[in-house]
Amino acid sequence: MILVIEQLLNGLQLGITLFLMSAGLTLIFGIMQVINLAHGSFYMIGAYVCATVAGQTGSFLLGLAVALPASAIAGMVVEFVVLRRLYKREHLDQVLATFGLIMFFNELTRIIWGRQPLYLDVPSWLSGSIELLPGLIYPVYRLAVIGVGIAVAFLLWFMFSRTRLGMQIRAGASNRDMIGALGVNIKLLYTMVFGLGTMLAGLAGVMAGPILAVESGMGESILILTFVVIVIGGIGSIRGAVVGALLVGLVDTLGRAFLPTLFRLVFNTATADAAAASISSMAIYILMAAVLVWKPKGLFPAHS
Amino acid sequence: MKPPLRKMLFISLGAVLLLILPMAASLAGESYFISFFSRVLIYAIAAVSLDLLLGYAGMISLGHAAYVGIGAYVVGIFFYHSSAMEPVFSFPFVLQGSENALLVLPLAVVASAFAALVIGALCLRTRGMHFIMITLAFAQMIYYFFVSLEKYGGDDGLSLYSRSTLPGVDLGDDVQFYYFCLFLLFGFVFLAWKLVHSRFGLVIRGGSNNQRRLQALGISSYRYQLACFVIAGAGAGLAGGLLANHTEYVSPGLMHWTLSGELMVMVLLGGLGTLFGPVLGAAVFLLLEEILAMHTEHWMVYMGPFLVIVVIFAKRGLYGLITGEGNSNG
Amino acid sequence: MAEMILQIDNLTKSYGALQATKELSFEVRTGHIHAIIGPNGAGKTTLVNQLTGNIFSDSGTIIYKHQDITRLKDYRRARLGIARSFQITHIFENLTVSENMALSIFADNGHNFRFWRNSLNSPIVKQKLPKALARVDLTERAASMASSLSHGEKRQLEVGMALTGAPDLLILDEPMAGMGPGGTVELSKLINTLKGSVTILLVEHDMDVVFSLADMITVLDYGEEIITAPPSEVRQNSQVRKAYLGEDA
Repeated sequence: MILVIEQLLNGLQLGITLFLMSAGLTLIFGIMQVINLAHGSFYMIGAYVCATVAGQTGSFLLGLAVALPASAIAGMVVEFVVLRRLYKREHLDQVLATFGLIMFFNELTRIIWGRQPLYLDVPSWLSGSIELLPGLIYPVYRLAVIGVGIAVAFLLWFMFSRTRLGMQIRAGASNRDMIGALGVNIKLLYTMVFGLGTMLAGLAGVMAGPILAVESGMGESILILTFVVIVIGGIGSIRGAVVGALLVGLVDTLGRAFLPTLFRLVFNTATADAAAASISSMAIYILMAAVLVWKPKGLFPAHS
Repeated sequence: MKPPLRKMLFISLGAVLLLILPMAASLAGESYFISFFSRVLIYAIAAVSLDLLLGYAGMISLGHAAYVGIGAYVVGIFFYHSSAMEPVFSFPFVLQGSENALLVLPLAVVASAFAALVIGALCLRTRGMHFIMITLAFAQMIYYFFVSLEKYGGDDGLSLYSRSTLPGVDLGDDVQFYYFCLFLLFGFVFLAWKLVHSRFGLVIRGGSNNQRRLQALGISSYRYQLACFVIAGAGAGLAGGLLANHTEYVSPGLMHWTLSGELMVMVLLGGLGTLFGPVLGAAVFLLLEEILAMHTEHWMVYMGPFLVIVVIFAKRGLYGLITGEGNSNG
Repeated sequence: MAEMILQIDNLTKSYGALQATKELSFEVRTGHIHAIIGPNGAGKTTLVNQLTGNIFSDSGTIIYKHQDITRLKDYRRARLGIARSFQITHIFENLTVSENMALSIFADNGHNFRFWRNSLNSPIVKQKLPKALARVDLTERAASMASSLSHGEKRQLEVGMALTGAPDLLILDEPMAGMGPGGTVELSKLINTLKGSVTILLVEHDMDVVFSLADMITVLDYGEEIITAPPSEVRQNSQVRKAYLGEDA
């Protein structure tokens, strides 16, 4: 039972990371209708910047404080230089160009930081574990991740439904030309949305840094998971991102944790472990396929 | 020179060059070239198959490498079982391993085609951005699946100790293997060409531009798109089977999405929707990779922006530039 | 005794409180060019959609060639010989004119799973394509990419594709929309040449075109039929003038 709760929390934590990635990405998809394969690169930039700054200064918080604007600014620069020219282009062009960006960023990090992974330590004031329930010991850091994620989700919700900026963004999503006619600087709006999206990615990267290694190419593995989240949740929908991220996080974590045990009930150990290893790595894709069969546009598509 | 004439001249020239390459390379003492170009030919098959999707059907499949990988693994797995002398499976019937090219290559094609059928049937329920993401996601799933197959090496992959056997031909000889690949490339391009100019091709191309009109005409685009997806998958499987033979090694890395991306770049460089362009694109890309890699290990930092620039400013591809023709879709 | 190819009786369609079509009745004679006009919002497009089966009427009947087609689905009506061109040109921009036409010819003749044979060499295309192109005066542009055609030529192609199935009733939904004067003249000439071989229901805004081409005109306003009569009568009718010009002009 304790084990289940522990894994549930782990799943939640993975879900939060995925949520931060997918919120940014789904915003960009939904509003600017542009496919950005390089979204993972900003996750990576966030992690690298934080690791470097924290490594130099010894302060995780400082690393975070630098990494966030860094990801946002990097995003806005990319938007200005490259993405802006792609809005009116076909999807294929966007895919290819952003693929080029991935190549560039991955190699750039190898040039600057070398091929060895960097290590980002859990800040000392978040290290250790606490006893949540009798017998349930859980790392403080992971709890913090969950907390931050929920806070961000709430902030995003607040921004979108209650602020003028949020309203502009939502309006821009449904009617690009109209919002321009209303005097909103659509170009600036897009740049800011993009920057917001990449900042969220950077935050996800920072938070994941202590848990996973910081290395070139780390963005892509999370990106594909993010895609799965968005497909399941529905493009353009924050609510979809939340639900999708939680589903994916939980299914993946619980699957890996408990499938071997489950399978061992039915098969002998060798077969069970082999089968469990295969199936658990495929679990979320199977989930995605199932959702697709039932709802091709995802669970909560934003609009047609 | 008028485009159609230029085009024919260029293609004939290309074909002749490919035919005489081994002899020229031996004479020049650069036998390594033969093996290198075998690889080009194999990637060309994969690129042409992807062009069917990207350039003609308008289906942006980001997971094409998965089918290359499946084809490769079929050859690899059958080889493994053949040399270990145990059957591939015993239920519902006994299937022995094999190194016979006449068996494993067609099997590779069929397996990939089948995978494309299942995955395509799911993916085609969506369109636009969804489709792109889903093709990628499924390819990644297949990647993880093969990584989890400990028996076949998992992440480390599987070595084959020799190439497949073909009656009357020694595929182990680089020159003969080269011509074998060339023969298959010519065959596949011919088939693809016929396909694209047939009624089927007409429906596919029309559908990539205006699906609603197609529906209004009473044609169900789903069936055609799925068929196209399967055929492309089959081509990729063939390339995979040949690749396994060429390098005598298979690993999940073959189906990593970066390979899908590289295939797309080859198609783009050569020219979308031209069938012949991707052959050129494969050659140029692999040559560039070789040359750049000699100068700097960080060649990708140049390739990336180069790609971005090409996409933004020069979309017709090299084939278009040389023959003065745009792609099939105007 | 002239035949009535289309008889519409008391057709009604509402969208909530809005009555788009209000007990509409009129007849279309075989071989005529029958125009439907009316100010914006009169319900012309809703009417067209009910005729083609894209939307279903709430009540009333549509009799086509003595058959009640009111509840038939769109592709069934298409098979019975009702063809339609769209207000927004709906051709395949990435194919040539011949290819566009060939696709239409194939579609009208069954399934398409032919991998091998060159599509343009197919017997049925060889047989029907020249005529189909000539009919809409596009023979010279046969090898051109559809995207390179002028707006008027695209319309011609659109009409040509609607005709490949040899329909008996061709519904043209605002064919002159967005056309310059030169294109309008060309398209009008084309429509005139079709007269007799196919009955045409012409929904249009351009009054000059309507009055020069139509044998009969039905005027709609607020979903209701004001009058169905030859052009000369319609021109003088006071209700029509009121509908278009406001108070009695």
